[in-house]
Amino acid sequence: MIFVENLNKKYGPIHVLKGLDCHIREREVVCVIGPSGSGKSTFLRCMNGLETITSGSIVINKHRLDDSKSDINLVRQEAGMVFQHFNLFPHLSVIDNVMLAPLKVAKTSKAEARAKAETLLAKVGLEKKMNAFPGNLSGGQMQRVAIARALAMNPKIMLFDEPTSALDPEIVGEVLAVMKDLANEGMTMVVVTHEMGFAREVADRVLFMDEGLIVEEGTPEQIFSAPQNARTQGFLSKVL
Amino acid sequence: MFRAFDWQDLIPLLKGAWLTIQLCAVSGVLGIIFGVILGVARTSPSKIARWISTIYITCVRGIPILVIIFFIFFGVPLLFPGLELDKFVSAVIALTCFAAAYVAEIVRGSIESVPKGQSEAAEALGLNYWLKLRYVILPQATKIMVPPGVGFIIGLVKDSSLVTVTGLIELTHAGNIVTNLTGDPIKTFLVVAVMYFVICYGVSLLGRLYEKRTGIHVDPLKLPETAGV
Repeated sequence: MIFVENLNKKYGPIHVLKGLDCHIREREVVCVIGPSGSGKSTFLRCMNGLETITSGSIVINKHRLDDSKSDINLVRQEAGMVFQHFNLFPHLSVIDNVMLAPLKVAKTSKAEARAKAETLLAKVGLEKKMNAFPGNLSGGQMQRVAIARALAMNPKIMLFDEPTSALDPEIVGEVLAVMKDLANEGMTMVVVTHEMGFAREVADRVLFMDEGLIVEEGTPEQIFSAPQNARTQGFLSKVL
Repeated sequence: MFRAFDWQDLIPLLKGAWLTIQLCAVSGVLGIIFGVILGVARTSPSKIARWISTIYITCVRGIPILVIIFFIFFGVPLLFPGLELDKFVSAVIALTCFAAAYVAEIVRGSIESVPKGQSEAAEALGLNYWLKLRYVILPQATKIMVPPGVGFIIGLVKDSSLVTVTGLIELTHAGNIVTNLTGDPIKTFLVVAVMYFVICYGVSLLGRLYEKRTGIHVDPLKLPETAGV
């Protein structure tokens, strides 16, 4: 489903991603962990074209991201993205946030887009907040709306960029619960996270990144119980 | 021989004020339309669009408005023989050229003030450049551009007095004519000043009304107390 080959990303002289290779299969949940500045978010942002690739290739569902002929907006419709700071549109109500892309990009009818938005908001437990504006929601509620908004385009893959990092500890659980439900439904997910408990419980595979490289990868059991690489061991000893 | 300033003198002044309002309304609206186009071009991904708008804005902002008025009124008929521009049309063209450059900078600043995350979220949903601009960026930028925009339009009303050099009988020119008849510049220009104030205050009220309707108005007299002071 996602093929990453020799992915390099440079910001001027700074080499952020140093030749990543990775294959993510359909219905797989992959958590990317690692210290700050290791390139996790940049890796994720490269996957939906928010960052341009310096060299290498990313293929998502037969769309090559490094090919100037491929339509990046088509790739983005297949790979929904959830951000650390939610990035809801503050001038639109909750339901309008969710309906915007289906109406304007997918060109679905208003009735159909509304029905779908209502279903998704019910799914994330926010059917009563449909007409509220983002400014009146808590962080956890905003992130759940952001998940519903990304799901409204029927993506085949969901990319999560530290979705709980900006939340108060007591409301992290409500967002993780929604993500667990998604994983159980078979959604292909790539999650950059510092929530080790979530990675351990939900991930099929964990990638540990450091200094722009995937240093180690394996099942949660392998990574958390018997890490092989000294850098993975050092990182986990600090966070667990 | 001078005669005393009386109520009859209000008629030419009111006519002048009405012409000033018409002049500013037309050039203000046109200036906003062209300013938005230039401002959007200034932030667009197209290099050519950015270049054209940058050159225009930099040139116009570097020239005094009086020079623009003289150029349009005296220069254009020389450049295009046979083309006779009406005084009002000349003034509208000059003020529109001037306004567009300044509005464009307000628009650019407002677009750039919208957090980058908004643009990324729109792109991540598959919205192309124009959809992103129309449904995500401009609605948020509009709220930011209203207060400086209103300030600029008020400035435009006052700057419009410069078109008096073309002979167009707008408010300042009308004041001059009445002064020549009455020899009483104090009363005349006091009335002219009050009329300008009323027009500018009207623009300010319209801006505040828009801000209240869109929920962005903050009453400076009712600011919350600073914490800890």
